[in-house]
Amino acid sequence: MTDIPVLADLNLAWTWPVVGLGLGATLLLVADLFIPRDRKQQTAWLALAILLVSFLLNLAAFPVVDSAFFGMFVVDPFSAFLNLIALTTAFISILLSVDYLQRSGMQRGEFYALILFTTAGVMLMGHANDLVVVFVSLELLSIPLYILAAFRYPDVKSSESGMKYLVLGAFASAFFVFGAALIYGATGSTSLPHIFEVVARGFAAGGAPELLLLVGTGLVLVGLGFKVAVVPFHMWTPDVYEGAPTPVTAFMSVGAKVGGFAALLRILVFALPVLSTGAVEASAWQQVVSLIAAATLILGNVVAIAQQNVKRLLAYSSIAHAGYIMMALAAAGHAGFGEQATRAALVYMLAYMFTNLGAFAVAIAIEKGDGSGSDLEQFVGLGRSRPLLAGIMAFFMLSLTGIPLTAGFIGKWLIFQVTIEAGLVPLAILGVLTSVVSAYYYIGIIVRMFLREGEGDPAAGGTGLVNGAVYLTFAGTLLPGIFPYLMTDLTRVVSTTPVGG
Amino acid sequence: MIELNAQTIAFAILSVLVLGGGLGVVTTRNLVHGALWLVLSLLGVAGYFVLLSAPFLAAVQVLVYIGAIAILIVFAVMLTRSMTSLGEVRNRQWWLSAITVILLFLLLAVGIILPVWGRGAPGEVTSLSATVGGAVELGEALVAGDGFVLPFEVASILLTAAMIGAIVVARDEEDEGA
Repeated sequence: MTDIPVLADLNLAWTWPVVGLGLGATLLLVADLFIPRDRKQQTAWLALAILLVSFLLNLAAFPVVDSAFFGMFVVDPFSAFLNLIALTTAFISILLSVDYLQRSGMQRGEFYALILFTTAGVMLMGHANDLVVVFVSLELLSIPLYILAAFRYPDVKSSESGMKYLVLGAFASAFFVFGAALIYGATGSTSLPHIFEVVARGFAAGGAPELLLLVGTGLVLVGLGFKVAVVPFHMWTPDVYEGAPTPVTAFMSVGAKVGGFAALLRILVFALPVLSTGAVEASAWQQVVSLIAAATLILGNVVAIAQQNVKRLLAYSSIAHAGYIMMALAAAGHAGFGEQATRAALVYMLAYMFTNLGAFAVAIAIEKGDGSGSDLEQFVGLGRSRPLLAGIMAFFMLSLTGIPLTAGFIGKWLIFQVTIEAGLVPLAILGVLTSVVSAYYYIGIIVRMFLREGEGDPAAGGTGLVNGAVYLTFAGTLLPGIFPYLMTDLTRVVSTTPVGG
Repeated sequence: MIELNAQTIAFAILSVLVLGGGLGVVTTRNLVHGALWLVLSLLGVAGYFVLLSAPFLAAVQVLVYIGAIAILIVFAVMLTRSMTSLGEVRNRQWWLSAITVILLFLLLAVGIILPVWGRGAPGEVTSLSATVGGAVELGEALVAGDGFVLPFEVASILLTAAMIGAIVVARDEEDEGA
């Protein structure tokens, strides 16, 4: 124990995308001190540069399978793919923020540093190979988000948003820690590969899994379920999404979900795939996950119909999309389908990231400086006043519905395919039916924009940067829709074998 | 089965402290009393650490939780006087949460008791830890490469972010013009 390890033992080479991002965020805080108050955009450019460097480092590490920090940190295509999503999300969110913060008088340098910190948290969730690391990364992901949600500070709705997110988030973290403690109690280790070994040994011996392990897994599922906002842990979502500044909502709706699903997939599919109650081929958690997925699909899509505010609508829509990713997770619970289902979930998250950020970008373009103007009525006549913006928004809505030629279609197709092949036919049918329901409210926005007479919003928030984000996400939604292999090829190297130990 | 020795008796007394204190926290209407009950409960936890041969953690528990956090709570209560005696706040779903909590408690109780006393329980009692975990061991575990160096570093970034955030949220708008 007293040997002092040399730095080389930690195997830091492939951890640079994350370590560099954390370092960059810290340096950004210092650099921000020297940037005058009226030129805070420069902090944003620096933040974008840091994200770009991390992105390139991550691309270099893409096919590598290795572990660092003596097995606590794992580098594999799964985490690299999630990193690409997390970094792109942060990049687009910052593009959306710069002018938004300026015109609503919130331009402060800390905003960008906090975005970078929370992005590092999301990335660490994918890399974590130990329950302790999962927990600290979960907090690193959450705490900056609580603050960002309350960033429009004296505004009551924004404070309410931050407060609600903080209280419920702390509650969820407590569930996660309790669950992790029980899993530790049952297996004697917090390391995921070691947990995998212990559970597999127990399964091979034919004994039923310990009750503590099952309860622990359940509590972990509850804790992470709060983060990704699945029913019945979704209550906070609409209020928090509505009150938070819109670019933060955009980041939250993708970043927090990606982080949560990264940990869920890592824990359930990589560490506990053989957690089975008997000789059946399905994991013990499959049924619970299926039920959660079904409830999430129904509630998210049905309640979204009644919404009159675009941020609340996108909040319920994001709940519904978490339901589709849960479908993939349920399919992963069937022996032999873990890899295929994980790939489907990854592709779905990438498609959802581009489409959802694009929809938020358009919402930001039509929002007023004081945070009002996000009612759905605001879209009436947009097809006349800003035809290009309205056309792209229509495309995003079609992608969220899952119409062919969009990225959303590819994601849904892969998820339905793996769900049916894994034998969960009723769940797949429910997924298709709720997609049809979702068409009602998504197409409702298109109808408002093009078919209803109205003055049309000038979309004053559609500045150069916001438009840039709109075109970027449009390309990200359109191109994979036409050339699906752009997304699916990236996931081909993803494997669900536990790494290191 | 359990032998009746000094450790078991100490454990029983500490459990009464921890559980009784916890019960006091949730039942009292007065927040100051609640904070004092919390001190009692945390003191019991410090005792557990002594039983688990981790005297350093016990000392930290007393210094940090009782010395700092409990005092902080009392200060916060004093500064927000209107919160010292709260009325009952219940929503319509209290029975739902009551059922869930009771079920979870039973599940946990069974889950913990079964491996210890149920069929197939280990015949011999394994001692918890032979080594006494002091400050040196804890420090090494936190910074050694095969210990918890990664969570330690992440936690330090996390605290930096939290501190920055606290300043951002609490900063007075009027000060900025100066």
